[in-house]
Amino acid sequence: MGALPSRFLQPITNRSARAAARGEGISLTGVSKTYRGRGTEVEALRDLNLDCPEGSFTALIGPSGCGKSTALRISLGLESHDGGTVRVAGKTPAEATRSGLTGVAFQDAALLPWRSVRKNIALPLEVLRRDPRAHEEQIAGLIRLVGLDGYENALPGELSGGMRQRVAIARSLITAPQVLFLDEPFGALDQIRRRSMNVELQRIWLETGSTALLVTHGIDEAVFLADRVVVMHANPGRVVAVIDVPFERPRTPDLFSMPEFHRLADHIAEVLHGT
Amino acid sequence: MAHEASRAGMIRNVVVIVALWEIIGRLGLVAGGALPAPSGILLQLWADRADYPQHVLATVSGSGLGFLIGNVVAVLAGLIFVLMPATLRLLRGVNIAIFALPPIAIAPILNLTLSGMAPRVTLAALGVYFVTMSATVIGLSQYDTRSGDVVRAYGGGNWMVMRLVRLRGAVPDVLSGLRIAAPNAVLGAILAEFGGGGRWGLGSYLLGSLGRGDPFRLWGIGLVATVIAGLSYAVFAIISERVLGTTRSVTLNTAIPAPASALSPIGRLALACGAVLLPFVAWWAFVTFTGVPDMIAKTPLGVIDYLFVGDQSAIARQKLIAALAETLPVAFVGMVCGLGFAFLLAVLAQMSPAVIRAVMPIALFTQTMPLVALTPLLVLLVGRGYAVTMWITISVTFFPAFVLLVQGISRVPQSVLDLPRAYGATAWTEMRKVSIPAALPYLFAATRLTVPRALLGVMIAEWLATGTGLGNLLNQSRGYLDYGMIWTVASVSVLLSVAIYYAVLEVERATLKRLGMQMVE
Ligand SMILES: Nc1ncnc2c1ncn2[C@@H]1O[C@H](COP(=O)(O)OP(=O)(O)O)[C@@H](O)[C@H]1O
Ligand SMILES: [Mg+2]
Repeated sequence: MGALPSRFLQPITNRSARAAARGEGISLTGVSKTYRGRGTEVEALRDLNLDCPEGSFTALIGPSGCGKSTALRISLGLESHDGGTVRVAGKTPAEATRSGLTGVAFQDAALLPWRSVRKNIALPLEVLRRDPRAHEEQIAGLIRLVGLDGYENALPGELSGGMRQRVAIARSLITAPQVLFLDEPFGALDQIRRRSMNVELQRIWLETGSTALLVTHGIDEAVFLADRVVVMHANPGRVVAVIDVPFERPRTPDLFSMPEFHRLADHIAEVLHGT
Repeated sequence: MAHEASRAGMIRNVVVIVALWEIIGRLGLVAGGALPAPSGILLQLWADRADYPQHVLATVSGSGLGFLIGNVVAVLAGLIFVLMPATLRLLRGVNIAIFALPPIAIAPILNLTLSGMAPRVTLAALGVYFVTMSATVIGLSQYDTRSGDVVRAYGGGNWMVMRLVRLRGAVPDVLSGLRIAAPNAVLGAILAEFGGGGRWGLGSYLLGSLGRGDPFRLWGIGLVATVIAGLSYAVFAIISERVLGTTRSVTLNTAIPAPASALSPIGRLALACGAVLLPFVAWWAFVTFTGVPDMIAKTPLGVIDYLFVGDQSAIARQKLIAALAETLPVAFVGMVCGLGFAFLLAVLAQMSPAVIRAVMPIALFTQTMPLVALTPLLVLLVGRGYAVTMWITISVTFFPAFVLLVQGISRVPQSVLDLPRAYGATAWTEMRKVSIPAALPYLFAATRLTVPRALLGVMIAEWLATGTGLGNLLNQSRGYLDYGMIWTVASVSVLLSVAIYYAVLEVERATLKRLGMQMVE
């Protein structure tokens, strides 16, 4: 793992202390957003409050169309918002993304089909006008981290869906992001593949120790990975509950079959379905 | 496997056609030997082998340079249009005029105002501009927004998205544009040679050989021109196959995608006015900057003066109207026949795929064959009367329309085609309910796309063969040094072509809307 950026290897305790001091992470305060089309209006978010302390892993869960992606896209400056404030690592979304503090992986891997795995992972560096050649070692390290050794020069068309998704995860880490956004990154995978990716993601996140916000509609996934599960409801999109997940890390796949796990998952399901 | 089989079938058909041709040629069955046997054509080619290199070199260098310049301009223009959609609206008039202009009509003008290789290069460049430009615009517009989001998520702006995602993403479209543009460049260069009176070039060679009417040599020149055009097509077909590992359709989307815009009504009106005026401004600027005397080079006002104010204006009007009266009916009837025939055959072919396999190779062959090379051959076959004009028009409209229609109908899912049959429908009902409605939008698209070609075909036939109509008026005016008339014919034929294009577009919109169908872009 010597190939990874030094930030990745800082002890977690160290970082949390620093986080507390500077109050960095992700914070959305009173954010509202209405999409206006031709004669139609969709109120996607109303007075949304979301706080992710630095170094924490937050899962955002809710029915489809409740505004999860919208919240994430607003945090990345991909979408404008009508009211409220958004801070990412203490900065506005535009500043944070431009300074390379963020990383992102979407539901679709969205790899450029004409670029090899290596070059796809290097894409954020090029956008940030950093020299990809100076990061060759980090790229090789990340490819190893996501278990794609030997596929450095493969094109996306030659990879399976799961492998493409792992490339997207590696790409989201190449800038050594302080804040990591994941929008249903495993949505396209089958249940078995998804479980093993959850385990891998936890390992990667523990090594990097960034602030993570994972959008998902899988309760299992949210409980397995997150420190806190934020539940949203739709029409308009809003946060209805924040539930702490007390399990020790690193969590192992055994957790999926433990009674405590199921009790918590059932509780979240109740909140989610509003019963 | 099916692909292999159909390719084998194609090859078999080509072999059968060539063999039949040889037999017919040997026996002199068509028009008293006007269709010579392939073997005879090859022998004549060998006999003329000393002449060809210089002619071929002249044509290839002219069209090659024009191809290069035209495509560089086209790709840059496409890029600007996409980055600033208002410019696309503003230049719409110029773009449509370039798309619709019959190259033969402006060949004499280019020969009057430019010298040396410049007319060939310009006409070749004009021939490729529209195709490549629209391919670039389409390629750049239809990019994967999800990849765009990744770039934006790292603070990348429009230019970064363009550089990292859209430019490379447009390469397949641009390549397929280049593929279709390449034969156009060859046609443009040959047409410019026609009116240029230069010594070298296949166009000059063809013109020089026309008087002797030697079928073997004319066919030889025609075949060489076709081979050059076909090779240029093949080169880009191979490149794009290498780059993409996929093939694309042979026809190209030539509609300009309408940019979404939030302009005020006044802004829109200003852009529309600008779009109409710009072609005339460009014409004006061209005349001014080439520095050719007023006597020879006419501005738009000069043409109006010639046609409506000057002493000879009444005679000029009379000549023009007489020529139009000869050209338009023939062009119209020819187009209707060609399109109708294509429509019928495409719908019928739905029931017997063998028809498609038989007609497709010929269709593709004539699409790459430069029109100028085809005309003398048709003259040999059917003589110099109206028939040749008719045949030219039919052939230039029939084949592209057939290709487009067959592709259109084949997009209808088999399940839809099977449904009426499952309910025991007769072949006629099935055709009425499914095939014809499916083909209709493509018939309109084909009409729009073939209007300029039909007009070009008629004018070439008139110039070279029949001695009637607009084409002949243009040729005669060159001889009489009647500069006003040359400019008049050129501008009238471009205006006419644009007007017909828009007329078809309007009918198409109204009809398809009434039938609740989608336009084929
Ligand atoms: N670009 C857009 N234009 C209009 N409406 C949108 C757009 N994007 C999302 N929406 C609407 O906003 C709501 C929230 O969408 P989204 O954030 O994608 O939900 P989720 O990710 O939770 O499934 C939905 O009702 C959706 O239809
Ligand atoms: Mg979503």
